[in-house]
Amino acid sequence: MSTHDELKANAAGYVLGSLDVHERREFESHLVECVECAAEVASLRPVVAALATAVPQVTPRAEVRDRVLGSGAGLKTSPYTFHERKSSPALVWLPLAAAIVIAVGAAVYAARLQRQVADLQARFDQAQSTTAVLAAPDLARIDLQGQAVAPGARARALWSRSRGLVFTAANLPPAPAGKAYQVWVVTAQAPVSAGLLTTDPAGGGSQYYMTPADIAPPVAVAVTLEPSGGVPAPTGEKYLVGMP
Amino acid sequence: MWLLAALARMQPAAESQAEDVACLRRIAAGDQGGAAGLYDRHARSLYSLILRIVGDETEAEDVLQEVFAQAFGQAVRYDASRGAVAAWLLMMARSRSIDRVRARRTRFEGRTGDVQGLDQMPDSQPDAASAMLDEEQTRLVQRALGELPLLQRIAIELAYYEGLSHSEIAVRLEQPLGTVKTRIRLGLLKLRDVLKRPNARSPRVGDPSEGQA
Repeated sequence: MSTHDELKANAAGYVLGSLDVHERREFESHLVECVECAAEVASLRPVVAALATAVPQVTPRAEVRDRVLGSGAGLKTSPYTFHERKSSPALVWLPLAAAIVIAVGAAVYAARLQRQVADLQARFDQAQSTTAVLAAPDLARIDLQGQAVAPGARARALWSRSRGLVFTAANLPPAPAGKAYQVWVVTAQAPVSAGLLTTDPAGGGSQYYMTPADIAPPVAVAVTLEPSGGVPAPTGEKYLVGMP
Repeated sequence: MWLLAALARMQPAAESQAEDVACLRRIAAGDQGGAAGLYDRHARSLYSLILRIVGDETEAEDVLQEVFAQAFGQAVRYDASRGAVAAWLLMMARSRSIDRVRARRTRFEGRTGDVQGLDQMPDSQPDAASAMLDEEQTRLVQRALGELPLLQRIAIELAYYEGLSHSEIAVRLEQPLGTVKTRIRLGLLKLRDVLKRPNARSPRVGDPSEGQA
C-alpha cells in the first residue's frame, strides 16, 4: 500500500495518461476518497488539454481536404464516389484543356527537377564525407520540430556514438547579424554543444559534427540562437527541438 | 500577420462551440456543407497535433482523414452537454496518433507495453472535454511550456506527445522513476500556476483549502 504522498505524486501522470495499469487502478480507488488529490486532478485537466494546441501550427495540404470530404460523403454514399467518371459535354474541350495543363505542368516539373538536381549535387558532395555516419551500425534518427519562434523549421539528426552526428535543417529564419545557430546534443546530465550551424539563404543547412565517444545517449537534440562565436551552454531561444 | 492571427482567436468560445454543434447537426442530416465547415474550422489544429505526434506528413494526413471519418460517423450521437467539440476532436486525434506511434514502437522493439489503453485515458472521460481553456489561457500555457527547464519539458512531452509511461520515460532519460514523476508534476504545476492569475478556473471538485483531511 502506497503512502498518500506517493499516491499524490501520480496525479499528474494520471491526467497525462502515463501511469501503468496497476498504478492507475490504485490511484483511481484513492481518488474517490481523497478530496485533495481529486482537486489536483481537476486543476491539471485544463492544463493537459492545452498541450494539444501547444504545438507549431501547420496547415495540411489542400489535397487532404478533398480526400477527407470525399470520404465524408461516405455517410450517405460510397467513399469513392469522387473517383467516378461522368461523361458530359466537357468531353469536347477536355482533351485540349488537358493538353495545356500537361504542357504547363511539364515546364514547371522540368524547372523543379533542375533545381532538385543542383540541390542533390550539393548534397552529394557533403554526403560523401558523411556516408560513414549513415552506414554506422548504431545509427539513431532524431527528427526535430520547429518551435514557436520558427514553426515552419524542420531538421533531422542522424547520430552514431562511434562516428558522429549528421545534422540537416530546413526553413530556419536567417540568423540576425552577430548571431548564429548552435546545435546541442542534450544528455540526461546536460546539453553538450555539437557546434555552429551555418544556413543558406533559404534557411537550410547540413553539417557533420564529431561528438565525444564517451557522451551519454542523447535524450534530445536542440538548436538555439546564440552569439555568433557560440557559447558553452545554451542561453538563447530554442528554434528546433527533437527527441529520439 | 500576427495581428490577423490574434484577431482570429478572439471569437468567443461559446459562439465557436455553437457553430461546431451546428456543423455536426448538418452532418447528421447528411449535408456535405456541414462536413466542409467542420473540416475548415479544425483541420489545421488537428493536423498540427497529429503531425507533432506521428512526425511524418503522409502518416499525419492518413490520421487526419481517420479522425474526420470518425467524427462524421459519430456526429449523430454527439451529445453537446459533453463539452467542447474542439476538445473532443483533439482527443480523438491524440488517441489515434499515439496508437500509431505505440504500434510503431512495439514493431521495432518487439515488446508489448503494459501502458493503459487509450480508451481508459482520463482525458477521454466526458468531463475532461469541458475543461477547455480559452485562447488567452492556451497561449499562457504554450509560453510557459517553452520556459520550463528542458528536462521537465522533455518528460512532459514524452508523456503527452509520445504516449510513454512514467517508467518508460525513466528508462529513456536514464533517471530514477521518482525523479521523473517529480519533474512531470513540477512542470505541470508550473503550467497550472500561470492560469492562477486573474481568470483562474476554480477546481471542479471541492475547495483545495478544505482538502486537508
